[in-house]
Amino acid sequence: MAGDRQAPPGPRANVKMVIDGQPHEFPAGLTILEACQRVGIVVPFFCWHPGLSAPAVCRQCLVEIKGFPKPIPSCYTPVADKMEISTNSPKVLDVRRQMLEFTLLNHPIDCPICDKAGECMLQKHYFDWDARFARNDGSKVRKAKVVDLGRHIVLDQERCILCTRCIRVCNEVARQADLVMAFRGDRQLLTVAPGRRLDNPYSLNTVDVCPVGALTAKDFRFSMRAWELWATPSVCPGCATGCNIEIHSARDVIRRLIPRPNPAVNKYWMCDEGRLTYRRVHQDRLVAPMVAGAPASWDAALGEAARLLASARDKSPSTLGVVLSTQMTNEDLFAFTRLAAEHLRTERVYLAGAPEGWCDDILVSADKNPNTTGAKLIGGLTLRTATDLKQDLETGVLTALLLVGEADAVGSLGSLQSLVVLTSHQGAPVAAAQVALPLAMWAEVDGSFTNRQGKVQRLHAAITPAGQARPGWAIAARLGQALGAAWRYANAKQVFSEACEKIMLMSGADWGKPEIPVQLRFANSRG
Amino acid sequence: MATVVKIVNRPAGWKRRSYLWGTMQGLGVTFGHLMRNWPRNLLGRRAQSDIVTLAYPEEKRPYPPRNRGLHRLMKRADGQVRCVACMMCPTACPAHCISIVPEESEDPRIEKRPRVFQIDELRCVVCGLCVEACPCDAIRMDTGIHAPPSTRRADAILDKEELLSRGELSVAVQAGEGLFWRERK
Ligand code: SF4
Ligand code: SF4
Ligand code: SF4
Ligand code: SF4
Ligand code: FES
Repeated sequence: MAGDRQAPPGPRANVKMVIDGQPHEFPAGLTILEACQRVGIVVPFFCWHPGLSAPAVCRQCLVEIKGFPKPIPSCYTPVADKMEISTNSPKVLDVRRQMLEFTLLNHPIDCPICDKAGECMLQKHYFDWDARFARNDGSKVRKAKVVDLGRHIVLDQERCILCTRCIRVCNEVARQADLVMAFRGDRQLLTVAPGRRLDNPYSLNTVDVCPVGALTAKDFRFSMRAWELWATPSVCPGCATGCNIEIHSARDVIRRLIPRPNPAVNKYWMCDEGRLTYRRVHQDRLVAPMVAGAPASWDAALGEAARLLASARDKSPSTLGVVLSTQMTNEDLFAFTRLAAEHLRTERVYLAGAPEGWCDDILVSADKNPNTTGAKLIGGLTLRTATDLKQDLETGVLTALLLVGEADAVGSLGSLQSLVVLTSHQGAPVAAAQVALPLAMWAEVDGSFTNRQGKVQRLHAAITPAGQARPGWAIAARLGQALGAAWRYANAKQVFSEACEKIMLMSGADWGKPEIPVQLRFANSRG
Repeated sequence: MATVVKIVNRPAGWKRRSYLWGTMQGLGVTFGHLMRNWPRNLLGRRAQSDIVTLAYPEEKRPYPPRNRGLHRLMKRADGQVRCVACMMCPTACPAHCISIVPEESEDPRIEKRPRVFQIDELRCVVCGLCVEACPCDAIRMDTGIHAPPSTRRADAILDKEELLSRGELSVAVQAGEGLFWRERK
């Protein structure tokens, strides 16, 4: 309009607008939905997802804009100067309810057997905005209930509300067009693209983004109701990327891992392989200290371990080796590095870990260890490699070894006179060891991993350690005491603070606030 | 803490001291009741007597109509368990005495059912919330049967088979549309 002042151009331009009678100012380029979320105004939605494009197909997010004849999808419409928006006028509430009624028209209302119940967006929106009895007394359109889509996923076509979020996850995150819509109208259904299966490495993200219970993970299907689970923030131990996750557990058993949004690391996603890493926490665990192959008390086992290590050290520290693992937390690494330097007086500290694997340019790293960066920062330049270890074992330079962490295939351990193993799992090293001590795993401890970007990220204990397992730093401190050390650690935070003080590249890392598991019963819909 | 001892002196005088009179007074009351009640009792007119106790176990007081009794699991038309392992009842149960382990059913129209269904009757407070919570009319407490006595705790834990053994066909329907509403065209 003539005489109106134009908003200044450029990316930093702000728009002034009115939402529900209140004036607000937003940066240009936001959508109305995002603007409403910023100021805490609730607009329900199904098809919009912060990490995906917005096709505006569900029409659940309609709002009224002054001067527009029809309600407008807020997820798709950018904010503009002098806009006047209403999110709670009678007309908006009415179309909102009508859209829900439309979505529910052919919905099977399987809630009692639906895995999503309790965290379902359709349930939540229905109770928030509709909560009336169905007016439909005709029969519903029936579709297939159990469709096997791929390695990890089962689809219930009846429950699908056709929001296309899963299709967009495949197209935009995994970059594979595995899913498509077929047919039209009330016969429209989600299916795999001709000749394809939903087998991309990010397929389980579709289950998370599905606002309803249409997509279920075979791994989790029917095992738990959402409200029985407790959520603990943590970091995926699957590779060096360090995707932020939530551990969902119940009664000390992990049931699933879910990505936790972090724009700097994993955005909203994680890979399928990482999701299943929790299984190992409950498999083949070493649950009690072992001395000469028989279960023993912690005191006896620690005493014997200290005796073996001390006699090897006193004979000749150069034949005593310490193997650390890139699977260990920063705290465990720091405590054992200190033990090796101050009380075992050996320079033969080796770094082992899981072998390299496949990678892509989306999330997955070739380095399958979560804490390689941390281990290198803490161990410093004197660390020897797994190849050195193999060589030293073969040439017989080493006669005694302290093997810490999950180190697969370190080499032949037969030539050693004494072997002390700290590990979480049964296996060849435990069988060969004089003393084996059970180590708590990543989901059982407070601690931190440093990912490939150098970000120090926190783990929080979600479940109690298996059997008598203990965190590595605590075992290091006990071993240290038995070897005459004066230092003690009361908790992981103390080790972390000391590491941050001593290790230059870790200074400034933050332990963060303590987190305890939260029951999902109180967490509402996760959509 | 100091112990407080309160000394009550015996009443004075031998009459009161011997408690003889008081005892006889008490016996008199009992004897009076006896004389009033036993002839009526003998003539089968117990209702007219003053006796308020019951001659258990020959006599039993009827339970109030809201009595619940042991749980049972209801059945589908083909005899399968109606329960879909939705976990509403263990969620509602204030005594945490229901344990269910779900499994997938081969029948895609059922999908989910309980593999294990146990109720610990020793812990149960007979509140009936599980019945209220069930969306499928799968669990009921309408048998009126007392939890039976047991000598071992494990015997008081009812399993799926036992709960089903008292079960009957339930034709309760979802959403008021009638049985097998899914199949109707
Ligand atoms: S998708 Fe939601 S509303 Fe539909 S059956 Fe599942 S829990 Fe119920
Ligand atoms: S399966 Fe779920 S995510 Fe995919 S279109 Fe249907 S409702 Fe949306
Ligand atoms: S009656 Fe009450 S206490 Fe007993 S099983 Fe049902 S909900 Fe639990
Ligand atoms: S509430 Fe009913 S259907 Fe659900 S688990 Fe309990 S008995 Fe089974
Ligand atoms: S969220 Fe806006 S149309 Fe679906």
